[in-house]
Amino acid sequence: MSAPDLSPHATPDAASGTGARVPAAPRGLRQTMSDLHIWTGLLLGWLLFAMFLTGTVSYFKEELSQWMRPEIAHQADRPEAAVVAGRIAKTLETIAPGTTQWSLRLPDERHPIANAFWRVPPKDGAKRAFKDANFDPRTGLKVAARETPGGEFFYRFHFQFHYLPVAWGRWLAGLAAMFMLVAIVSGVITHKKIFTDFFTFRWGKGQRSWLDAHNALSVFGLPFHLMITYTGLVTLMTLYMPWPEMAGIESPAMKRQLTSEMNAFLQPAKPSGEAAPLASIEAMVREAERRWGPGSVARVTAANPGDAAARVAIARGEGGRLSMSPQYLLFDGVSGRVVEEKQGVGAAAETRGVMYGLHLGRFGDGATRWLYFLVSLAGTAMVGTGLVMWTVKRRQKLADPERPHLGFRIVERLNIAAIAGLPLAMAAMLWANRLLPLDLARRGEWEIHVVFIVWALALAHAVLRPPRRAWIELFVLGAAALALLPVLNALTTDRPLWRSLAQGDWAFAGVELVGLAFAALLAGLARRVARHRSKAARPGRARAIGTPARPAADTAAAVEGAR
Amino acid sequence: MNVTVSPTPSARRVGASSAGGLARLRAVLPLISRIVAAVGGGYALAALASVAVLALPVSRIQAVIGGMLGSFAVYAAAVVWVFAVRSATRAWIGLLVAALPLLPLAWSVWHGAAPAVSP
Amino acid sequence: MTHVASLLICVGAFAALAMATERAQQDVLERTLSRDATRALRIIGWALLLTSLAIVVGAQGWGLGLVSYSGHTSVAAGLVFLGLIARQRRKG
Repeated sequence: MSAPDLSPHATPDAASGTGARVPAAPRGLRQTMSDLHIWTGLLLGWLLFAMFLTGTVSYFKEELSQWMRPEIAHQADRPEAAVVAGRIAKTLETIAPGTTQWSLRLPDERHPIANAFWRVPPKDGAKRAFKDANFDPRTGLKVAARETPGGEFFYRFHFQFHYLPVAWGRWLAGLAAMFMLVAIVSGVITHKKIFTDFFTFRWGKGQRSWLDAHNALSVFGLPFHLMITYTGLVTLMTLYMPWPEMAGIESPAMKRQLTSEMNAFLQPAKPSGEAAPLASIEAMVREAERRWGPGSVARVTAANPGDAAARVAIARGEGGRLSMSPQYLLFDGVSGRVVEEKQGVGAAAETRGVMYGLHLGRFGDGATRWLYFLVSLAGTAMVGTGLVMWTVKRRQKLADPERPHLGFRIVERLNIAAIAGLPLAMAAMLWANRLLPLDLARRGEWEIHVVFIVWALALAHAVLRPPRRAWIELFVLGAAALALLPVLNALTTDRPLWRSLAQGDWAFAGVELVGLAFAALLAGLARRVARHRSKAARPGRARAIGTPARPAADTAAAVEGAR
Repeated sequence: MNVTVSPTPSARRVGASSAGGLARLRAVLPLISRIVAAVGGGYALAALASVAVLALPVSRIQAVIGGMLGSFAVYAAAVVWVFAVRSATRAWIGLLVAALPLLPLAWSVWHGAAPAVSP
Repeated sequence: MTHVASLLICVGAFAALAMATERAQQDVLERTLSRDATRALRIIGWALLLTSLAIVVGAQGWGLGLVSYSGHTSVAAGLVFLGLIARQRRKG
């Protein structure tokens, strides 16, 4: 028998998906790979779209966080890292007395406040528990800003979603990533001539334009898409493939060695029970900066602070170096002397560090970050065009275009809810950030609830309205939400867009400006759908899905356009 | 891209006029078999390979990390293989053939052979 | 600055490589160029790609340089591709 026919209804004799009883033609590798590509792309396509969109946005999560904490004034210059570390260590002594471990992340250009978490006694049989807080680097005290998850929400959603136990969410993300990886490989095999046909895609009009758009986005971004997918799996590889560790790590000492090759987290050893004041954190950070350069310290972790057995790890940041492998200095917590220096890691660990670094993209300068953002956005559009293309192609084959079968309807509605609904839901979070009362209990969680409430409403909208109307309406709502964001901000804070621009506060202004750009994109998409609608409404015209001739305005608009 | 396969059954007609549910079931079994081979068998092979790597004469810690790093490539390759070959049976055979040399290596590692090189 | 220079050179490179294909020649120039001209365009295209690589690696080292370069090539190829589409649509 020749290559498999993956259609679920096929009898061994069916040649095509229409159920005709013809002797089977050999299907060939490209055909089966095409089928595999479609299935792996479609089954979790909406999840992948959400992962890509939230991932794209996460490259600027620090800027989003700044925008979402307008109480923290724009600071043109930052106090010295060493001084900040010392201040916050002192604060932690008072707010987290007796904790066995705290970890403090120092502020940097993109993230002007400090963040620390510390261990607290676990309750209800949990293995461990932590509390965390944000700190003002100038005072060392807890920051007085509205309670919000900031851009971190999109970042975490990207790999563990929400409302799910963390492990489940990460497993689901890993599954989706594997589907993506197989979709990429099967897509390349199917389109074997991608490199020879580099510029000779059919760029005509008509339904081919969907294929061309999807192909173009996939091919031009191929290095990135492949890299981002594989490295994404690598970031959580200890969860997905625990077997080598289970088989090969034979003692707690070995386990500590393994961990130290991958992150700088300091595990607290047994406390001695004898109290001793913690040595100067400020001096430790200065020592690290002496060795690595100014501004190089990212994180300070203390184990058993206030105890004679205290240890402090000063870890190097990710800027300017590609690998995220741990580099740290370990100090004796009482005497302040360097006890151990981790300068490098082994070959496999360094490979993993580079792959991790490639995924997070924190190594680069602003221009590199923008490149990541743009190519990642193209990847998002790649997934979106793939999903839409499926309905476009199936629509040709519908027996009765007015009454499509259930599978088609499901895909069509989910496409709308994902591609048009998610941007709206994400914009809703920014609105909630400005509008929710500051003293609302669990305000931060409510900002997140708003995202899902709006997303659910968008899904309902997508189901209840005729598809074309739903596309247009949701795109327009999303465009409006983003276009009016600067207005909302000017009305609810004292940091209107013009002032941010005048001050050179590019993070704050950037969020609103990029929001405006996205609003234009969504509005453009709404217009495309609306114009196509008037074309198809002409009597006697076959329901061909053509893209109306228009000057190619901007990249994603040209390709993420709906019917 | 020639897409002639519809992932949704436009062939209710086929079902209605064929020999009935049993024929449909028998037609679907190879596909289900492949899916199991790909999703389950592929993961098993990747896990096996990631453990077998520890038998290499390299630092144990680096081997553990390396095994994890490469496992996803093995998984993806296995999935593509399962759907590329001509029958479900061949798919399973291929997975077993790939697993065969890895099994004794993984077994020896799992049952506590001391690391070939110091960690 | 390096980024801009590298990106622009990549755009030039891909434009040259695109113009070295018959399809693009028909679309843009409405005729096919001579074989020598086509070969020259291809050589220029690849040379520009290498130049761009040299610039980026020279400025950022191999690790960061290769990463930036792959970003530049992706974006540049996309821009040229879109330019060709835009031209086609405007004509037809």
